[in-house]
Amino acid sequence: MSSTHAFTDNLLQRLREAAAAIGQNVAFMEVCGTHTTSAFRCGLPSVLPPNVRLISGPGCPVCVTSQGDIDRLIDLGARRDVILCTYGDMLRVPGRHGNLENARVRGGRIEVVYSSMDAVKLAQKQPDREVVFAAVGFETTAPATAAAICEAQRLNIGNFSVLASHKRIIPAMRALLTDGEIPKIKGFLCPGHVSVIIGSEVYQSIVDQFGVSCVVGGFEPPQLLSALVCLIELVVNNKTALVNQYPEAVHARGNRWALTLLEKIFEPGAARWRGMGTIPDSGLILRSDYQSFDAARRFNLPEPQEREPAGCICGKVISGAALPGQCRLFGRACTPISPIGPCMVSSEGTCSAWFKYGKSNQRTIPPAHLNELLEVSS
Amino acid sequence: MCLAVPAKLIRQDGQQGIVDLHGNRLPVNTMMTPEAKPGDWILIHAGFAIERLNPEAARETFALLEEVDRTSGNSDYRPDAQQNTATPAVRGDMS
Ligand code: SF4
Repeated sequence: MSSTHAFTDNLLQRLREAAAAIGQNVAFMEVCGTHTTSAFRCGLPSVLPPNVRLISGPGCPVCVTSQGDIDRLIDLGARRDVILCTYGDMLRVPGRHGNLENARVRGGRIEVVYSSMDAVKLAQKQPDREVVFAAVGFETTAPATAAAICEAQRLNIGNFSVLASHKRIIPAMRALLTDGEIPKIKGFLCPGHVSVIIGSEVYQSIVDQFGVSCVVGGFEPPQLLSALVCLIELVVNNKTALVNQYPEAVHARGNRWALTLLEKIFEPGAARWRGMGTIPDSGLILRSDYQSFDAARRFNLPEPQEREPAGCICGKVISGAALPGQCRLFGRACTPISPIGPCMVSSEGTCSAWFKYGKSNQRTIPPAHLNELLEVSS
Repeated sequence: MCLAVPAKLIRQDGQQGIVDLHGNRLPVNTMMTPEAKPGDWILIHAGFAIERLNPEAARETFALLEEVDRTSGNSDYRPDAQQNTATPAVRGDMS
């Protein structure tokens, strides 16, 4: 047996023993879309003991972007005087008037970029066109936007701006624990790559205030399992704690260079989340010195109008209040080929993961079973 | 939420680096990891190195990653794998 298999088997054994020792139902929430897909890809749901639930939270950046912000982005992409640069994930997210791919067919110039810096380079090359960078994502991605703004300023590029809807994860976790409809959870599997930037010690306030453990985890199956075993063993030992199970990448205080960049360009401000409303301090707003890079101001964009696609319950799915199978459109009208909500479009979306990894036959879950899935003892 | 992949930094010129990722060479901006040197493993996200991996803490992880990679039939993950200079397809995902 290879050492990986032996290591994984040992973790699985510990998982089963710890779950049996709890003697009650427990739920944990992963707040990272990459964790969601990694868990499904490696078959984690199938080896979870029946009394342990892993609930997906608001961790997919595309999914949490409010519908109003998406509509605004697509409207901007359709304009002939704009080149809209975006990461590939946003291309197929449906808006009020189709998605960005449709906007491209209608004559909009949409460029998929690998890095925010590519958008700056494009603006430099095409001084007669306005280049807008679609800045979506959590703290992992936001420093790249900040770096692009610094670069555009350094090069004195006047035709570059960003339409920013960056999000901060900790205020969202707090909001979930304060007013969320989610079942009572015993701990968070904290997002590994957001934590690379923000560090692990920022979760301590959640542990202290809410009595919920926070375990930072990596993404390979053994790393994921280690983090989960840690969460369950904390429950067995009747402890709540902050544990960094991804120490090779995550430091207590995060990446100071990235944080300095963020701090220079952005400040915390209220942000709109799909299904969770406006959460104070959960967004990153351009500081006054950099508002000339704000595409919303430059193009005088109207305030976003919030409206969910009819029948789509993505808002509940991303806040852990419903499972994809509870959506009557899941696997019928809404599939990865013809997605209705962002949770089915994004590779990190929970509905997409459910569909891809074998839950597409669970089109609708009988309410009683759903309650059993979601209900956990406190 | 945000996929970042480990890759080996093989060249660096100011804030511009080249990494070896699964045998491919990719440009990377190293402004957020000024301490990284060629030979270091770094995490790449959206064209930026976002952290230099700690080799002490990562030894076990790397052994696992390499083994997982070998068993899944892709041996190029090994740091000492043959280099392939083909330009990879740009995914452009933030995930
Ligand atoms: S299945 Fe489709 S319509 Fe239903 S919640 Fe998921 S993304 Fe929205």
